[in-house]
Amino acid sequence: MSKIELGASLFCFTAEYARGILDFEGCVRTAAAFGATGYEIVGAQMVPSYPAVSDEFAAEVAACKDKYGIGPVSYGANMDRGLVKNHHLCVDEMVERSIIDIKSAAKLGCSFMRQQFLISPEGFKRLAPYAERYGVKVGIEMHNPDTPSSERIQAFIQAIEESGSSYLGLIPDFGSFATRPNKPHWDTALANGASEAHLRLAADCRYEGQTFAQATETLKQAGAADAVFVALQGMYGYVTFYKEPDLEGLKNIVPYCLYCHGKFHYLDENNKEVSIPYPDILKVLKAADFKGYIMSEFEGHDSGQALDMTQRHIQMMHLMVQD
Amino acid sequence: MGFGMRINFVDVICDDSLRTVHANGKPVGYAFDIRLSYYRGLFLSCVDQFALTVDGQAVNSQDITFGIHGKSIPVNFLSHCASEFWGLTEPASIEVTTAQGLEPGAHEIDLTLMLRIPYMPIPVGDNLVYMPLDSCGRKTLTLEA
Repeated sequence: MSKIELGASLFCFTAEYARGILDFEGCVRTAAAFGATGYEIVGAQMVPSYPAVSDEFAAEVAACKDKYGIGPVSYGANMDRGLVKNHHLCVDEMVERSIIDIKSAAKLGCSFMRQQFLISPEGFKRLAPYAERYGVKVGIEMHNPDTPSSERIQAFIQAIEESGSSYLGLIPDFGSFATRPNKPHWDTALANGASEAHLRLAADCRYEGQTFAQATETLKQAGAADAVFVALQGMYGYVTFYKEPDLEGLKNIVPYCLYCHGKFHYLDENNKEVSIPYPDILKVLKAADFKGYIMSEFEGHDSGQALDMTQRHIQMMHLMVQD
Repeated sequence: MGFGMRINFVDVICDDSLRTVHANGKPVGYAFDIRLSYYRGLFLSCVDQFALTVDGQAVNSQDITFGIHGKSIPVNFLSHCASEFWGLTEPASIEVTTAQGLEPGAHEIDLTLMLRIPYMPIPVGDNLVYMPLDSCGRKTLTLEA
């Protein structure tokens, strides 16, 4: 039997939730119907009494678990360092805010909490005793453009080591291993007047390792439309991609992985993620004996395809973990 | 309207929400509801700009309150509200005090609402600033007679 479990982040249903097509119970029901055995909840999105969890909401979550058989596995926190105008929260303040998140995660019955890198390695390390007290393991989200080997992630690994606590870890997002440009962004750029040739040129700049400034200059000289520069931002940012993704690095961080974010933007008709090399990623995770959840996490809410895509993503994952 | 991220699942200005506010036995203003245009809720301290124009006339910000959770917050105080959370699906009630309310009929509401995405710093020069979020909205609402 596989040691990998399949869950869904309710974030997949962002558009449906915002529009009132699915309420919280509807999101849980849908995740369960798609085959998820647990879910991640983004606190600032779906907890009505955020940042605390009210008794009423905790009861609703428990009732949904009874009814649909799945409960929250992880609590997605946000590190709102810019909460106060003209002031960055200091480490003390970020730790204090995170303690509230840990309490909320515990009250919901989550085993894990996802925190964002702005907390800083120092602040993260200081969460260890609270994580242990409340029984919630806290992981730093590793999101593109970070990779396992990047300086920032290495600094968090050092913090985990220094803490000596098994309650701190990492939560890698598969988007960090993308090998191709993001298809929805590409299509949006085309729709907004970009030429295919200019987009290819932008992607080539990225593949060749040009800096953002160099790529911008190259595209300016080629006379690219504005939409190409919008796409270029993504290509060097949250949806960047690599000729050779850091899969060796992934292998090295598996011992720290609390769970994974199975990021996806677009599955083709064969249920293949067109930008992220899932088979290669799964191979590494299995070889390194990863145990835990892969949470399907859809991004691309404007497409209106979240339900179809999420259902197919979990189907794809079922086949992959059985291999 | 400046540069900013726009994530728009719902209209900011809520349909059919314009109403007259009464006090002292007469109309003393009007109110309508707004939603946050984003994927998650935000603390009100993340509001960087709130400006309202109705029928082409700028409304004095001192005359506007932001109503949520049974509280009434002057819009110029929003930036102080670091523990008041505006949820993704929670309509907020915008109330304007005027000498005599609005005439029945159609009114164009034009809201400039810019916020900060407080976990998304963008490097600008030596300082870190945060990604602006555009939650502006414009709609014609009808006040029933």
